[in-house]
Amino acid sequence: MTLLKLENVTKRFGGLTAVNKMSFEIEQGESIAIVGPNGSGKTTLYNVISGVYFPEEGEVFFEDKNITHLPSYRRAPLGLGRTFQIPRPFSSATVRENVAVGAMFGTLSHQIGVDESLKIADHYIELVGLSAHLDKEAGSLTPTEKKLMEIARALAMKPKLLLMDEALAGMHPRDIDKMVTFLKKVKEEENIAIVSMVEHIMRAVVGFAERVIVMYQGEKLIDATTAQALSDPRVVEVYLGHPPEGTHA
Amino acid sequence: MIGTQLAGNLMQGLVLGGIYGMATMGLSLIFGVLRVVNVGHGAFIMVGAFITLWIFTAFGLTPVIAIPVALIVGMAIGFVFFYLVMRRLIKAPELATLLATFAVGILLEEIVKLIFGSEFRGYNWPVGKIVLPITVFPMSKIYAFIGSIAIAMLLYIWFKKTRAGTAVRSVVEDSEGARVCGVNVSWVYALSFAIGIGLTVTSGVLLTMFIPVGINPYMGGGYTLKAFVIAVLGGLTSPYGAFFGGLIFGLIENGSYTLFALIPGVEAFAMTRFLSFLILLLILLIKPTGLLGAK
Amino acid sequence: MKGKIVKYYPLVPVYIVYILLFLIGINVSGMWQLVAMLAFYCAIGQAFNIFLGMTGYVDFGYVAFMGLGTYGMALSILYLHQFQWLGIGIIIIGLLIALIMASLLSIAVGAVALRLRGAYFAIATIGVNEGFRFLIEGAKIWGGSEGIIFSGQLAQAFGKETASVLSTLWADIFLFFIAGIAALITIYYMRGKIGYALTALREDEDAAKVMGINVTKYKIIAFITSSSLAGVVGASAWALKLTYVFPPQAFEIHYTVECIIIVLLGGAGTLLGPVVGGLIYGLTKYWLTVIVPGFQLLIFAPIIIIIIVAFPEGIIGVLKRRFKGSAFKKFII
Repeated sequence: MTLLKLENVTKRFGGLTAVNKMSFEIEQGESIAIVGPNGSGKTTLYNVISGVYFPEEGEVFFEDKNITHLPSYRRAPLGLGRTFQIPRPFSSATVRENVAVGAMFGTLSHQIGVDESLKIADHYIELVGLSAHLDKEAGSLTPTEKKLMEIARALAMKPKLLLMDEALAGMHPRDIDKMVTFLKKVKEEENIAIVSMVEHIMRAVVGFAERVIVMYQGEKLIDATTAQALSDPRVVEVYLGHPPEGTHA
Repeated sequence: MIGTQLAGNLMQGLVLGGIYGMATMGLSLIFGVLRVVNVGHGAFIMVGAFITLWIFTAFGLTPVIAIPVALIVGMAIGFVFFYLVMRRLIKAPELATLLATFAVGILLEEIVKLIFGSEFRGYNWPVGKIVLPITVFPMSKIYAFIGSIAIAMLLYIWFKKTRAGTAVRSVVEDSEGARVCGVNVSWVYALSFAIGIGLTVTSGVLLTMFIPVGINPYMGGGYTLKAFVIAVLGGLTSPYGAFFGGLIFGLIENGSYTLFALIPGVEAFAMTRFLSFLILLLILLIKPTGLLGAK
Repeated sequence: MKGKIVKYYPLVPVYIVYILLFLIGINVSGMWQLVAMLAFYCAIGQAFNIFLGMTGYVDFGYVAFMGLGTYGMALSILYLHQFQWLGIGIIIIGLLIALIMASLLSIAVGAVALRLRGAYFAIATIGVNEGFRFLIEGAKIWGGSEGIIFSGQLAQAFGKETASVLSTLWADIFLFFIAGIAALITIYYMRGKIGYALTALREDEDAAKVMGINVTKYKIIAFITSSSLAGVVGASAWALKLTYVFPPQAFEIHYTVECIIIVLLGGAGTLLGPVVGGLIYGLTKYWLTVIVPGFQLLIFAPIIIIIIVAFPEGIIGVLKRRFKGSAFKKFII
């Protein structure tokens, strides 16, 4: 069964249509990049998938279950994890406690107690390389460390699908390469589908994503393999500012 | 007979409502711009009441003089309050601003108690009355009503026509956007806060013109709750909503009082206070943006 | 097994304080009044902290639960005093009724108001407090604005002597028990899943939701716990002790202010905080009442402001930072 399916999802804010009839499918274990300039509706799309917003039209399915109007806290245990563009740590709690929250409430079995969650947290903190900061207050970490913690926290939820929001933005190219390798490894070992959202098709996306969905003004422009997307003239136009043929200005 | 009594009470309610509404405009302005709920709201109204009392009894001047005095004093207090306390709490969790405004309210009550004592005071402003077929209005109430409308209109003009007013409106819409357009947002915060407090203190003057008795340091509490109901009625962020919310509230309060008084075994005054709470809760549940607010 | 017990170490200093307090009160003549007052503030502070400290939401109408609890005990004594065979059962039933009434109100309020965000919730709670009080007065329920006096009934049920002991001694002793229970519940929550959920939702409600936390459920649990404890405190410290209940007093916002001061002063969200806050507030208030009666609030109000602006974490919060990493850390939470 398909992991995630969107059918004609439309989200409006007053007179503005942020997402317009988006449809696509994601299978287990895929690595996808959703690409698009500012204002193309990516964040809104993520918010609809994770349940922060409910769409006006269309439906969202997770493993064939209709989750369109499910409150966001119910989606996490189903296997939907998410990181935020600007990390949102629970600042006064330690790194360990932060990541443990993911395990405690975000997993399928939902029966994971405090002690076990802490052990799971230790594992993922080591995975992202933050073991030295286990007992530090999350609020005192550097931005990059916060990003890593955010990822560890999301992974501790044992998601089947991980939505990553601009996780690689602002990172040094060297760190990006490391991150890409890391994500690939995680994807293999945990069999997670990872959807990464980025503003531009960068080296990260090229190295990481098998498939690319390009959004423009709330609509799906292209849904193809990375190679195809890179060579599509419409994508180039989107970034140069001329609206591609066949779309409205 | 009941009909005329009800009609008369409703008219009185409308007039009182205008004053309630004006009293709430400051609350809505502060919330609209700074997203801060001034839990000590009533205490500032009380300050205005005492200013009026003082000016009238110490100098024998008409309460009308108290209006500009209260406005200036109120804005001064607002600025001080903002720069000493509120400015440091911009980044703090909501809890902090709620508690801070609450504590300042208490502080004001205690200071006033220290200066004036806690007995109930009042004054008598003999300016005659208007006799209508269904009810009688002391002229002081009429003046208060006119004052409220005048201030509301002045505020409207200020918002629409002046640069400062436009700047404030832009911050209410979108503070980041305003900042990017060159608006000095922290100055707007300070100004809006000061004006909000100034309006609230001034409303205390008008309120005493309407009800010149029962002035004591702790009189504010009841008005705080009324103000919240009115603000929520009118949409928490809009000062104009607050004004119209006040009118509606005045009608409901007086109308219900008349009706409750007809029921035996029921204390009408207490029941109207209970009713206002019920309305508050219903609105918060059904349409938190207020009857007149945007969706 | 050891791990489970270690979790509860922080209770030790708290219980030591309570036991010491009790012993001082019993053995030193004339101190019982002061000690009882301190126990009252610690108890209500701990109860209030379970909601304010752990969720970061302010219930400005908190005293309504104390008031309702007072009515619970009053009604039990009023209507059951003829059944003398019930003996101490009347008091126990009174406490139970207080607990149930406060819980019911908190469920009603919580289900409705806890869906609202911070400021709207605060406004709603003020409304609940005022609304309830005026409903009682307006519809003349339970004695209306005149309240209920039941000293006579209490004496009838237990005999004058026992009734007197109940009011003057046991009403205060109950407070120690309540404070102890509140402390136990606090640490149980803090160390358990509830504590993690509450910390998360306090810090960032939306992120917490995305992590799978049902924020409304946990807010309600904390709210009901905190409110029920308030009900029991009211039943004991007000009803049983004073043998009368009077609406304007039972719903006076002044008491909510005291709870806020105590929790803020000591450190919201910590275990020791309300204890420290209760002691300091109680002692200071007592001292001020002797020196400058009537002006306690005048002094405390600016103190609250200073704490909010400069030391939002309270005394225990500051101490936690100072003793980071030291052996004391186990006990200072």
